[in-house]
Amino acid sequence: MIQAYAVSKAKGRFAHICFGRTATAVLLLLITIPVAAVVNTGTDEESRLPYWEIVEPGVSIRLVQRLPDQTRGFFQARGFSVEDSELIAQGCVFQTVFKNISASSEPSTIEYNLRDWVVRAAGARRGLKTREDWQKEWSARKAPQPAQLAFEWSLLPTRQTYRPGDYNWGMMLFGLKPGTGFDLDVVWHQDGKQRTARLKAVRCAADVHLKPGDL
Amino acid sequence: MNIVCRFAALLLLLSAVVTAAAETGKIQTLLSLDKPFAAPDFALKGEDGKTYRLSDYRGKVVVLNFWATWCPPCRYEMPSMERAHQKVKGEEIVILAVNVGEDENTVFAFTGQYPVSFPLPLDLDGSVIAKYPVIGLPTTLIIDPRGQVTHRAIGGREWDDDRLLEQLRQILKPQDGSSGESR
Repeated sequence: MIQAYAVSKAKGRFAHICFGRTATAVLLLLITIPVAAVVNTGTDEESRLPYWEIVEPGVSIRLVQRLPDQTRGFFQARGFSVEDSELIAQGCVFQTVFKNISASSEPSTIEYNLRDWVVRAAGARRGLKTREDWQKEWSARKAPQPAQLAFEWSLLPTRQTYRPGDYNWGMMLFGLKPGTGFDLDVVWHQDGKQRTARLKAVRCAADVHLKPGDL
Repeated sequence: MNIVCRFAALLLLLSAVVTAAAETGKIQTLLSLDKPFAAPDFALKGEDGKTYRLSDYRGKVVVLNFWATWCPPCRYEMPSMERAHQKVKGEEIVILAVNVGEDENTVFAFTGQYPVSFPLPLDLDGSVIAKYPVIGLPTTLIIDPRGQVTHRAIGGREWDDDRLLEQLRQILKPQDGSSGESR
């Protein structure tokens, strides 16, 4: 600790001599920022919808809202009945992008299992419904095979292992009503070590029905 | 001191550039499998009406891609796959992009937007992808000339990247070792 302070002080003196006070402050900030999970929110460039994102060294996990209408249309076009499409669309769907962004010079292996993740909403906590859980439900509901196949491959895999450069896109369903807010505990393993981060105040998209002339 | 300061500033700049490059996540490599395995054979009808049998490509390197039209990263990598196909023409490297679960009309409409000249076999019922250790789209497996799956990529790649094409050419060469990262 004392050693770290001394190094930091020396760096500060050096920066001050070179760059002046303001630049020194900026430089010191850059030097002393701890390597920790960064949670970002904003608007996804492509979908123009809100996103919540964890960025840690070697990993990025982004959840992008999907509008219920988008989801309804997507699954109806792939053979689901109106009733089943509605069930999915009303279930708070996000598009997830999970990437291993470690450099090949410092490669990391990233593993996750969605069964480790926890959804916290209205004081309660619960796990995620995975591909395998849904498969049983669609079989019981006698959904057409092409629809079941499309659903299976649209979802983020339940477990996955990523090496540098690997990534997946996939939907996640949180089983909450449109417009609901929730926190999500995200768990992954990086080179065998467990990592966790919490995405706070994530919000399911509202179910907005636009009429001609609304835009 | 002025020279030292300039050197320090240059170092900081270089460090920022390296960090930014790493964070783009655009690493164009194929993972070499610790345990290669025999690629299960299949015969599928293509979007063009022809039948494609994997075993017909024995003696070549096969880039076996699994994809769907609705999958954004699958769409993003298609143009680079077509450019790679053009670059390796005349070499014993072929691309088979197996569509999962969609009919020929859907795939035909897709090729209007993303024209490609390599085969697009249709795995209508998902029975072929089920034979392979694939759990997300897109996933690409590389099959060596002896019919062994030796490398894989999860998620899209820039297939016409020279480093990646070089890896494919190395797999084509008869050798004892393997290229790329190992798992």
